[in-house]
Amino acid sequence: MIDGWATFWTWVLIGTAIVFTCLAIAVAIGGFFDIRALLKTIDRQHKEAETEQDGQNNGV
Amino acid sequence: MPLTLQDVNLDDTLQLSTNFTNWDWVIVVVYLSGSVAIGLFANRYIRNMTDYIVAGRSLRSFISIATMLGSEVGLVTVMYTAQKGFTGGFSAFHIGLCAGIVPLIVGLTGFIVVPLREAKVKTIPEYYGLRFGKGVRVLGGFILTVAGILNMGVFLKAGAIFVTALTGLHDPMVVNIVMTVLIVLVLIYTILGGMVSVVITDYIQFIVLSVALMLTAFFAAYELGWTHIIDTVEKVHGESGFNPFAEGEYGLSYVLWSFFVFGLVSSAVWPTAVIRACAAENVQVVRRLYTFSSIGFMTRFILPQFLGICALVYFWQHDVGRELFFAAEGGGVVADPNITLKAMPSFLAQILPAGAIGIVCAGMLAAFMSTHDSYLLCWASVFVEDVVNPIMGGELSTQARLTMARVFILLSAVFLLVWSLWYPLGQDMLDYLAVTGAVYASGAFALLLFGLYWKRASSVGAYLGLIAGTFAVLGLKPVQQLVNLSDMLGTQPTAAHIGLVTVGLSLVLMVLGSLLFPDSSGARRKS
Repeated sequence: MIDGWATFWTWVLIGTAIVFTCLAIAVAIGGFFDIRALLKTIDRQHKEAETEQDGQNNGV
Repeated sequence: MPLTLQDVNLDDTLQLSTNFTNWDWVIVVVYLSGSVAIGLFANRYIRNMTDYIVAGRSLRSFISIATMLGSEVGLVTVMYTAQKGFTGGFSAFHIGLCAGIVPLIVGLTGFIVVPLREAKVKTIPEYYGLRFGKGVRVLGGFILTVAGILNMGVFLKAGAIFVTALTGLHDPMVVNIVMTVLIVLVLIYTILGGMVSVVITDYIQFIVLSVALMLTAFFAAYELGWTHIIDTVEKVHGESGFNPFAEGEYGLSYVLWSFFVFGLVSSAVWPTAVIRACAAENVQVVRRLYTFSSIGFMTRFILPQFLGICALVYFWQHDVGRELFFAAEGGGVVADPNITLKAMPSFLAQILPAGAIGIVCAGMLAAFMSTHDSYLLCWASVFVEDVVNPIMGGELSTQARLTMARVFILLSAVFLLVWSLWYPLGQDMLDYLAVTGAVYASGAFALLLFGLYWKRASSVGAYLGLIAGTFAVLGLKPVQQLVNLSDMLGTQPTAAHIGLVTVGLSLVLMVLGSLLFPDSSGARRKS
């Protein structure tokens, strides 16, 4: 009984370590580009909002 | 026996040496300073409440995963899950399996999180408001804020125990100063940078913590030897060290409770996780976020639990450690949770070489900070957006809401310092966390489940569900003693028993309230 559980948990640990390593590498690389995109998007949103605000002010 | 930060300086840990050197302090200081500087840089991107709370709703898949795991893999989680590995052996891994399987199902099905993202809400109580009206939003927001802040009450304590055991600092005043400096650093970049700084610092902290955890686990397994680990767990815990359903640390009710709390609540109901779904770019990102984060949710339990198991094996054969952490005459692990909580950091202090120990310490303290920043931001957002603003008629300006959120974060941090440093809690850490979390989560689960998937769910049912959820507070030992709960019931209920009953009560009352007091057809159409 114990041997079966021990084998099961051993494979759970090994599987977790392998899959998590792959995930961490992918997230480390992909996350870097996502942060760049995030900052650009926020900048663009602010510029669009400013343009919209200017347009409204001119209209008034 | 209540545990306070003053108790952290116990004489027992003086008997254990540490490999922590001044160079390790340099690594920690440089790393933490860099984190704060990056957080401050993010301040230039904050112009409105959406930037501040959900980073302009612009988070893509990878960074969403990094920030979710950066926040949820906290020092507190590492400490109490390692404690579970120490006291329960490999059986504790079932918690990690629950924590991995349920988010995977959530990601594949979109259960709860996809309809929430589609509702374009920033917080869960905001959804209550859309579905059930302003009163439910304010009540739900208030319960969530109180439960969330109380839940954080033990975080500083966990950090202090970790710092004490790992670094060898034993002067309570020095430990208090270190923890205060950390919370101040978190405050600086969270108050100024909001979600954007949280995202960037979480990303860095995810990488550092992942590397630190993986290398430490590998090093520990290599040093101790796999067969030796298995044999020692069998000697100390017997079958219950491997079979979670066996008599001992866990059992069926605990496994069920694990599925609910560590699986469903921590991924799909706990607001600091759900806010990532709300901040995601679209629902496809939400699905990917949960599907891939399930690996991280599982890992955040299993790797620290494994370190706890390694601590068990190491101290079992260690002269001083055996006296400190194990009962006399061949008994198992000591029953005092204040002692077992120190096992993992004490083990790391003994086996990791100088330099490596500094990186691990920096990673863990980074995890400590990333949890604090996300939690503080989340509770502040809920309090301002879901309690104060609706009460004021929704007419507060963006500037007023931002200022209020920042002041709330500051006041919360002061409260946490006072609570952690000077007041006893009355029970051990895991029970405290589970109970305070359940005060919010029991009712929230009922409202989200029926609100999202049952058209007849009504506001009266929602009020009853929320109020019923607060009965989870009966899981706190001082409250049990106050109302003589064990005398009333004729038995001593566990936190798992009370939690499962409270969840059931919230669901039943939500259904009964909705059937007996349905909303008017106009209100239903509006929602």
